[in-house]
Amino acid sequence: MSGKLWTRVSLVVLLILIAAYVLYPSIKHFNLTDSEKKVLIEEGKLEALEKKIIHPGLDLQGGMHVVLEVDLEKLLKSRVRQGGLDDKITNLIESSIKDATENDTEFFSGFKRLANASDIRLALYFPSYEKGPNDDVVAALEKDAKDAVDRAEEIIRNRVDQFGVSEPNIQRQGEWRVIVELAGVTNQAQARSLIQATALLEFVLVREDSQLLQDVINRIDKAWVEMDAEKASMTGSDAAVAGETSAGEEVSITKMDTTVDEVSSLQQLLGEEGSDSLNVQGAGDINRPFSSLISVGSNVIWIPKKNFRLIQRYLEKPEFKEAIPSDSRLTWGSEARDIQGDGQEYYALYLLKNEAELTGDVVTDAKEAMGGFSGAEFVVHVTMNGEGAKKWAEITAANIDKRVAIVLDDRVQMAPVIRSKISDGRTQIEGLDDITEAKHMAIVLRAGALPAPMQIEEERSVGASLGADSVRQGTNAAMVGFILVVIFMAFYYRGSGLIADFALVLNLLFTMAILAGLGATLTLPGIAGLILTVGMSVDANVLIFERIREEIHKGKTVRAAIEAGYGKAITTILDANITTILAALVLWQFGTGTVKGFATVLFWGILSSMVTAIFITRTIYNIMTERHTLTKLSI
Amino acid sequence: MLQFIKNAHIDFVGNRKIAITISVILIAFGIISEIFRGGINYSIDFEGGTLIQVRFTNDVQVSQVRDAMNTLNKGDAVIQRFGADNEFLVRTRSVENEEAQLEQIREVFAGINGEAGYEIRRLETVGPKIGKELRGDALSAILVAMIGIVIYISIRFQFMYAIGAIVALIHDVLITLGAFSELNMEISLTVIAAFLTIVGYSLNDTIVVYDRIRENVNTLRKESYKDIVNISINETLNRTLITSGTTMMAVVTLWAIGGEVIRPFAFALIIGIIVGTYSSIFIASPILIAWHGRLAKKKK
Repeated sequence: MSGKLWTRVSLVVLLILIAAYVLYPSIKHFNLTDSEKKVLIEEGKLEALEKKIIHPGLDLQGGMHVVLEVDLEKLLKSRVRQGGLDDKITNLIESSIKDATENDTEFFSGFKRLANASDIRLALYFPSYEKGPNDDVVAALEKDAKDAVDRAEEIIRNRVDQFGVSEPNIQRQGEWRVIVELAGVTNQAQARSLIQATALLEFVLVREDSQLLQDVINRIDKAWVEMDAEKASMTGSDAAVAGETSAGEEVSITKMDTTVDEVSSLQQLLGEEGSDSLNVQGAGDINRPFSSLISVGSNVIWIPKKNFRLIQRYLEKPEFKEAIPSDSRLTWGSEARDIQGDGQEYYALYLLKNEAELTGDVVTDAKEAMGGFSGAEFVVHVTMNGEGAKKWAEITAANIDKRVAIVLDDRVQMAPVIRSKISDGRTQIEGLDDITEAKHMAIVLRAGALPAPMQIEEERSVGASLGADSVRQGTNAAMVGFILVVIFMAFYYRGSGLIADFALVLNLLFTMAILAGLGATLTLPGIAGLILTVGMSVDANVLIFERIREEIHKGKTVRAAIEAGYGKAITTILDANITTILAALVLWQFGTGTVKGFATVLFWGILSSMVTAIFITRTIYNIMTERHTLTKLSI
Repeated sequence: MLQFIKNAHIDFVGNRKIAITISVILIAFGIISEIFRGGINYSIDFEGGTLIQVRFTNDVQVSQVRDAMNTLNKGDAVIQRFGADNEFLVRTRSVENEEAQLEQIREVFAGINGEAGYEIRRLETVGPKIGKELRGDALSAILVAMIGIVIYISIRFQFMYAIGAIVALIHDVLITLGAFSELNMEISLTVIAAFLTIVGYSLNDTIVVYDRIRENVNTLRKESYKDIVNISINETLNRTLITSGTTMMAVVTLWAIGGEVIRPFAFALIIGIIVGTYSSIFIASPILIAWHGRLAKKKK
């Protein structure tokens, strides 16, 4: 083979290898059984794998897509001073809403216009805002409404863990909307109410008692061992019923083995870190399964991210309730943190007093700022109302040097240490890493006090069974469509048709590989796009083949006909495909979730078809004509 | 060598008046049908409303569901069978107090076949505001696509080619829209996606013919413009038929076995491909001739 041809062939082989490599995780993921998946979740490896695969869309795996919009009517009415909600302001709010919806205009400018038109002094109704002219009040209200969306987003983010879904997707759309996507949610009614429920913010004291914490851990260990033993004996007896006692024993042995394995790997892990701030207890001790998965430091349990799901699942079981004293509760931290700065992330599990000292409704405001000792630290200023300030003074006085956890919807957001008595209700929280974190904490603190009414503007839920049907039917249609086209091409163009078929197979392979590489989402319209691509992508080959036929008719040699066929067809192919690509791009820009999936597939499918149908088929012809002078071409 | 049409010499251009008449009639039928129903038959995506796909575990008749829904006094509820037996689509236009309405509908379903006797497989709720926005988005998407195409063809060919292509496109979309109206099918988000795909696809065909016309204008200098166009259409006829054929195979398969949810989308594509193929032969090119004739007259 000539050097040029070698380069072509190696390039084709290389492309195929890359595609296969990129696609491998998707295929692996697709073939995982449920139990294998569970193992991977517990090892914390599933997340990494899922980053590299083609994701099934919500319409294929079941789930819900919800668009929430701030309920301005509720929000504004709740902001009117107590007892001030008269007909005048109610009418104003309602007619402004109607006006904005009907004419598709921005709400606040309409609100201002209508207020001015009917001579309403807004400052009279919203005294907590600017005292000034309507302009200022409306500006303040608008800012407040935007903050409500921030709070709602924060509340939902914080809560989404409770749905137990993988990869929840929460996103801001414009200024007034939040999109929530939850895959695999089975109880939609519950999810809906959880998304919309009001937030609960609490200030709860951390139990600074290392002996108590140790007792709790010991009791959890004991309950864990008992539960495992029960489970092992149950599998044993099940097996005995089936007459396979030995197999049952094997199950329990392997189970123990894995525990030991995990322990040793954890030891290794912490050994490598050479850390001394975290203290692993009972490592290697099969009687202490919980201890061996966790670390303890400064009266907090630290759970490596990879053990998080497993422990979370265990601790939810009723067997563990008794391990915790009735005046205490175990509460998770809101997110995994790299507490030692070594790239290892840990979830915190706090032992808190059961009863909250204060709830968030006493907070009147929280703002991020620069301050602290040096004046260059990131802090949050919290102000409380009179009643709250009084209680807060008592609490802080009695608990100096202890930590108070700020808990939003049962997740500890932060647990700052009380440095001194705070008597005026003005608290400064220090020790925040950066402005983003300070902002986040300020939002969290406001979330408990101020309502963030959101209403569902759009919801699309698909049940898992319908999703499974769609996958099955879609895949079947794709396969049948593919086979029909392949047979037709081979039938109509004979040998050359087979070459085109080879290109078609590669086109599918490449398109899927690109989707996997992009971590794209495959929706039902996406599968339709794949089918359409199959039908359309042979077009390039049809164009080329028809040209070659024409050239052969004109009496050219096979080699010259191929040369001319490709040469003449190429501009046509480019021109024709670019319009489809253009349409796909517009579609992508315009489309929502599922339609976007279609546009993505169409775009990459057509693009890839130009490589496979032109470059790769040409390479095959080149190989064919390299050695022998073909006198007849099967076309 | 297998060939659909050997050495085609069909006088497409000569018969263009018949073709145009047929197209005008088809479009008129579509428009009349839409006038009769009072506008485009939008789905909840564009109009706001709730769609519920429900499956019952036992035999249930449409009339049962309809009667039960009537007790809710939702006069505008539309109930239809959906694919398999015992599966129904329930659509209402109102979304006032979504949560409460949903609860009522659940009770109705439970009343028909017991608490555990039904499964809600799909639920879509779109508020009127978002519906309105989506309608605007869809319209602007189609307009943007068309403008982009005019620009592209004007650059790659000439402006008069772009006019032919756009007229053909509008023709395709109008006829497909008409077919949806005549068959009482709704225009949803995915159907709009299909329309945009038709725009891209139909152009694909048109451009292949155009490309050949451009090439032949340079090589066949003796022939009249009309003949050049006719020769070009004939030369590309096999390709046009084969590509439309393979695409149809794929899309018809999708329509037949791809499931109920994707069927309207596949249907739009089927109509679009047929009409698109037809228009690239009978509409786009004759317009080119007409425009070319005007230009030639002006020059004189």
